[in-house]
Amino acid sequence: MSGLSRPPKPRGAPGKSNMGEASHTSTQELGHIEEDTITGDESSASPEAAESRATVAEALTKQADSRYGPLPWSNYFDEERDVEIAGTTDMFHVYSAGKEGPVLLCLHGGGYTGVSFATAAAHMKATCRVIAPDLRGHGRTRTSDDADLSAETLCEDTVRIFTTMFGDKKEDQPPVVLIGHSMGGAIAARTAALRKLPTLAALVVIDVVEGTAMSSLAFMQGVLAQRPSSFPSLDEAIRWAHRTSAVRNEESARVSVPSQMVRKENPERYEWRAQLKESEPHWAGWYQGLSDVFLAVPVPKLLLLAGTDRMDKPLTIGQMQGKFQMTIFKTAGHAIHEDEPEQFSETVLGFVSRHRIGQGALEISALKWGSKTLHR
Amino acid sequence: MSVPAIVAANPHAGLDGQISQLHECKPLAENEVRALCEKAREILIEESNVQPVKCPVTICGDVHGQFHDLAELFRIGGKTPDTNYCFLGDYVDRGYYSVETVTLLVALKVRYPDRITILRGNHESRQITQVYGFYDECLRKYGNANVWKIFTDLFDYFPLTALVENQIFCLHGGLSPSIDSLDHIRDLDRVQEVPHEGPMCDLLWSDPDDRCGWGISPRGAGYTFGQDISEQFNHNNSLKLVARAHQLVMEGYNWCHDHKVVTIFSAPNYCYRCGNMAAILEVDDNMGHTFIQFEPAPRRGEPDVTRRTPDYFL
Repeated sequence: MSGLSRPPKPRGAPGKSNMGEASHTSTQELGHIEEDTITGDESSASPEAAESRATVAEALTKQADSRYGPLPWSNYFDEERDVEIAGTTDMFHVYSAGKEGPVLLCLHGGGYTGVSFATAAAHMKATCRVIAPDLRGHGRTRTSDDADLSAETLCEDTVRIFTTMFGDKKEDQPPVVLIGHSMGGAIAARTAALRKLPTLAALVVIDVVEGTAMSSLAFMQGVLAQRPSSFPSLDEAIRWAHRTSAVRNEESARVSVPSQMVRKENPERYEWRAQLKESEPHWAGWYQGLSDVFLAVPVPKLLLLAGTDRMDKPLTIGQMQGKFQMTIFKTAGHAIHEDEPEQFSETVLGFVSRHRIGQGALEISALKWGSKTLHR
Repeated sequence: MSVPAIVAANPHAGLDGQISQLHECKPLAENEVRALCEKAREILIEESNVQPVKCPVTICGDVHGQFHDLAELFRIGGKTPDTNYCFLGDYVDRGYYSVETVTLLVALKVRYPDRITILRGNHESRQITQVYGFYDECLRKYGNANVWKIFTDLFDYFPLTALVENQIFCLHGGLSPSIDSLDHIRDLDRVQEVPHEGPMCDLLWSDPDDRCGWGISPRGAGYTFGQDISEQFNHNNSLKLVARAHQLVMEGYNWCHDHKVVTIFSAPNYCYRCGNMAAILEVDDNMGHTFIQFEPAPRRGEPDVTRRTPDYFL
């Protein structure tokens, strides 16, 4: 769709949108208008015809606005801030929501941003502090080397973001739950394994398993190549993400997709911010050995999957030995937290509460005999 | 399978025919399942939450729809009624033949009620089976969810635990901080969906642990219990052993808590990928015990384990 040659912006069209997106909407939804609108040659058309096209465009634009218009992050998060890492020029853009309770440090997947956790954050912020950074090379974060998406660097970034925000003394740090999706899930597990977060209380990994991820990598360049390289508008990008089921929840797509795009001029278009194709050298390093890393992390673990067929051998054994909690979201796609933010949040908060994270003494009322204390 | 016209000689001919059919891994028709489960319910409703079992008996752990491995188990352990069995639950989900597996075990229960005991596992539940395969398998094999409904309704009646000669306490998961005696278990109202917490949930979900005392289970349900707990429970209830399943153990069985607890797992190469042995525990006339290990049955024509490649994985 980036290749479409679009007619000039018609009179009367709202500034935010343009003819291109409206006409694109028409190619999908209003086949009979499409020809007239999309290939219309302004120079050869009568003013009346142009006016009529503009009206159609306006109507379609409004339609697009109502359904696929961008939503601001501020509907969900309380604030955004830039976290500067001392002694570097690295500046991480971080979204946060909630004032008290354990910190849920949320790491997005490759190509996504911290805003990927927006709709879920709104459900979790009453009892937890949701912190969602744009990782290196993503969103509005700027670093000295945006191309270095190696697991080691991303883990180090995660530790530095946390200690910059909460101090590097254990006494000052709140209990923290590392939550990561896809690439971010691998980074969450590897960061947990570094043992550099002394108040780490739990680990949540969203829809990434070594065996299935590794066997998928061979196809990832093909998958990336099939994405449009740019969109004429944010609405179009949102629409694409929703229609291809990259994000199945319309509201989540409307808030999260715009954060993944950068605006370009002449002609105006929106391109992907993250250079994923170029990150290929780092992919294997994210996932290789991940299952063993995950199983060895000595805190409570929750694995959220979008299907039982995602499991590999070490995790199947670990799960069947009761080493971690697993919850399947049968109707969600890969971005579980975006597709089903309410159920996702309920599961995470239930897990946090069950393990009494951020709570003081352990309840013993349930223990009617045997020892009177409950260990984690 | 239709009932032969002449059945006078054997009042069980119909059921025996069904059992033969099931031994060939061929599912029964929906109406046959309905009639079978109705009979099973009448038998199970009379059983205790702590169902007494006599020796000799062979105790078996998780099967998880691996029908061909169950057939191997019967080849090795002996057929019912020549061998008495006590199954510790988790007949369905994960494997490809949950329907045939659970139907066969229920049919054997109806045919030989005193020869086989089938306890409830955490997978004998409406909620779990909708996620881990049994529900989908029923839809696939019958075109609707009626058989799933019939079985999950029946699961509510499965006993929670069994007691071999007042010495070996058998159950799927483990002990509960809410239950310190077998009488407490006898008092539970078990005819319900497996709850998310509480004593009935714990019996089906808990695991033994190296650490003493009670712990929060990493699974998200039940508790972990240490050797001190097992010793105290066995002592209070004059038990010699807790025999349980629920956890995959690579050798098929695993002693823990100084031989106060044993785990038995009877699904070899679990999920067709784990490479573990399976085992059963034979308890003889003198309460002596022998473990028999077995490997996956040779099989052909089983669905491929390869998975669909996800669209995006970064």
